[in-house]
Amino acid sequence: MDKYDVIVIGAGNGGLGAACRILNEGKSCLVCEKHNIPGGFATSFVRGRFEFEASLHEFNGIGTPEDPGSTRILFEELGVADKIEWIQLKDAYHLISEAEGYDFVMPFGWEAFAKANNQLHPDGEKYVNEFLELCRQIRDAMAYIGETKGKPDPAVMMEKYPDYLACGSYSVNEAFEALGYPKVIVDNLNTYWCYLGADGNSLSFLHYANMIYSYFTKGATIPKYRSHELSLAFEERIHELGGDIWFNSEVVKILTDEEGHVCGVRLKDGREIESRHVIANCSPHVVYGKLMDSEAVPERALKLTNFRKLAGRGFTVFLGISKSAEELGLKDHNYFIYDTADSVKQYESMKTIGNTAAQATVCLNNADPDCSPEGTCIIYMTTLFTDDAWSSVGKEDYFKTKNKVAADMIARFEKATGTNIHDYIEEIAIATPETYARYCGHPQGTVYGYESQYYDGLMNRIQMVEEDRFVPGLRIGGGYGERLLGFPSSYKSGVNEARRTLRDIEKEGR
Amino acid sequence: MAFKRSNVPGEDIKLAMEMTAKRRQLIDETPAAPLVYEYGVNRLAKALHPGFVKVAIAEKTPCSADCVKIGLRPAAGGGEPAGGVEFPYFRAGQFITLSCRAGDSFLSRPYSIISSPKEALGGMLEIMVQRKGIFSTFLINEASEGTELWMGEPSGDFCHDSIRDRNHILAIAGGSGVTPFLSMMKAIREGSEEFRLTLVYGARTRAHIPFDPEDFRVEGVDMVVVLSEEEAEGYRHGFITADLLKEYIDADTSVFMCGPDAMYRFVQGELKDLGFDPTKIRQERNSVGDRRVSEIKLFRLTVHIRDSVYELDAANNETLITAMERAGIPAVVRCRNGSCGFCHSRVVNGEYFIDSKDDFRRAADKKFNYIHPCSTYPESDMEIDIPIMNP
Repeated sequence: MDKYDVIVIGAGNGGLGAACRILNEGKSCLVCEKHNIPGGFATSFVRGRFEFEASLHEFNGIGTPEDPGSTRILFEELGVADKIEWIQLKDAYHLISEAEGYDFVMPFGWEAFAKANNQLHPDGEKYVNEFLELCRQIRDAMAYIGETKGKPDPAVMMEKYPDYLACGSYSVNEAFEALGYPKVIVDNLNTYWCYLGADGNSLSFLHYANMIYSYFTKGATIPKYRSHELSLAFEERIHELGGDIWFNSEVVKILTDEEGHVCGVRLKDGREIESRHVIANCSPHVVYGKLMDSEAVPERALKLTNFRKLAGRGFTVFLGISKSAEELGLKDHNYFIYDTADSVKQYESMKTIGNTAAQATVCLNNADPDCSPEGTCIIYMTTLFTDDAWSSVGKEDYFKTKNKVAADMIARFEKATGTNIHDYIEEIAIATPETYARYCGHPQGTVYGYESQYYDGLMNRIQMVEEDRFVPGLRIGGGYGERLLGFPSSYKSGVNEARRTLRDIEKEGR
Repeated sequence: MAFKRSNVPGEDIKLAMEMTAKRRQLIDETPAAPLVYEYGVNRLAKALHPGFVKVAIAEKTPCSADCVKIGLRPAAGGGEPAGGVEFPYFRAGQFITLSCRAGDSFLSRPYSIISSPKEALGGMLEIMVQRKGIFSTFLINEASEGTELWMGEPSGDFCHDSIRDRNHILAIAGGSGVTPFLSMMKAIREGSEEFRLTLVYGARTRAHIPFDPEDFRVEGVDMVVVLSEEEAEGYRHGFITADLLKEYIDADTSVFMCGPDAMYRFVQGELKDLGFDPTKIRQERNSVGDRRVSEIKLFRLTVHIRDSVYELDAANNETLITAMERAGIPAVVRCRNGSCGFCHSRVVNGEYFIDSKDDFRRAADKKFNYIHPCSTYPESDMEIDIPIMNP
């Protein structure tokens, strides 16, 4: 068969989610993936006796079977929930900032987290309770807006969600300034900023508050067998539902008919496949700039795409260590090591190569003791580059440059935690922006899609999602989508675009 | 609590209500300029990892009793952007794969690079081919100057890493296994690598040495050649024993080995006797070959590539990749030793065997029944779904 109801470009989280949703409705679907495995960043790789997680630090939104989070519910609807074994994380993070004098562990759970803030400030618990109440209202308001399909009753909004409306335009820093909490409390509440990768002046407070609420009330999990387990669970589901996935099959052109409607795709080897509907799980820069003939791209698509700001470019050091976490003295799963607690300063210093001011580091064995052979452990350290610094690295300097950055990150981690790991490195792999660009094709090696900007944040994108699409038959979902980056967001965005595509198909049928 | 930032009544909500209009206005004001989707990062990623590149044999030079050095040049019509322009930059110690149709078969084999990274920038990439096996015999006997092949990009992790490895590499090699170390020694000579290397090379006779030791009398490189079947001045005689090795091990030494499995077993034992830290030993993995079985059985193998289906016989003593190659199916493969995952494939049904020492699959691959056909033997009729080879 050379004709499908829907073709999905890219088997990343968004693409996999979209394909399952389409197939669930009995429509035919082909996923074309340029790599030889599914998942995009949701993958893993083996070096020697270690299997490294490629990207995931913690998965938020799963919750427990008794108290499921929104992503668990979504996975159940898609039919993949039973295929995945989750491990619940104990603590949220261990924050270390020598310059600020911070060194503390924060637990999950509203009450436990609030109480833990008493060690930072005598009224810590009170502030955090108040903050989480505000977050809850924001979360509830968002849920209400979703239930009303983006058309909430203004009277209900004013009555039930006044704080949501009042802080709706503000950045994280503006909102915290208005809240007036002590610096140490604000700094602690800001710790997760790097998961969204925009500094406090740009990042939408609503978005951040919603995420914080979810983390501290639902906790976080990791899949037992790395995120490759998630991707294969989706692939299995797609096969169960009769869908097709073709690997090593890069789409090089989205084809449109005389009316400008999508009519198919062309693969790298020249083969063309018909479909009236394409869901692209890739960057709009690539979709409009490369995959479509320029005359088929409406002017406003160019304007919108040029308006976006590319977000954080990834850099990760993967270490297989020939000593156990216990022998090293590492007790925690998730470390944030910050030169400063000021996200704007961190963001600024991440523009250049040479000063890794922030790292999010995972010692996987502290979540899953069986993840590597006895007497060993897996550590991976991630940072972001907030500008295109790696574009000026030449091929002959490339390998040395990446080792220099990695060595610096390792040394900083050792200093912050008082451990020696460099003597026990049995395996090392380093992913740079080039690596992410290689596997997923994102401009500049960004791993975070489009950055949350003051006027391009979560709620803005959700409200304008129909206005932001231009080519009939084409929808774009995943990490560049309306829900921004992150594992749960990219799955949800893909599923949302599939839902909209199903609606398009239904309209066509009428 | 009531959230309030502005002292002007209603101002906070008013600002929130204006967000959409403001965003719309900002988009209106943005130029509809052509989109830039490729940057230096993307170009470097492509240059380092071009996938398959078309190359042609430029020259063949016998360099020992059983090894031939083959020089490759980029051929017209190769992959983008390297094709016809230059070879991808690589790390000393890496290998490439060569693929082509030979008779009814479609064959693909990994070969270590002799050239240093900078040498290859000059437009010629040299590999070492040992006279054994069907493809190497084809390259040595049948392929000629101008024969075109698909080259898979430089790959592999058998390289010195300044963070992981110590500053002195004790390089132990036998036969054509010296190849990655030739590349490393050249890299040290040209200054693109900065570690020290001592090569301990085992060969049968002087006639079996595929390089000129005189080429590497440079700072940072030491060399000991051990002949097993000949005594000659300037050469050691016998085997690579603990006594010999301990002369070259200092506190700053990591061991790299490349050669036949029998050499690995022997040297591992010797290093163990010396109390050498096993986590500081790295060995290049050899291809997974045929296995011994009590009775050779033929099974039916069904192979899906996209929407094409192939039916063929597969013997239980041969890997699935061998069976597919013989049947002329263009099956993707890179390392042939189970470790790189390039041939990652889905098992639709059927039983199979993978030796645990060759099993580098991810944990989830085992859970969801995926295999690397280069290290998998059939144990029943099988149906598999493999990725297309797409140069």
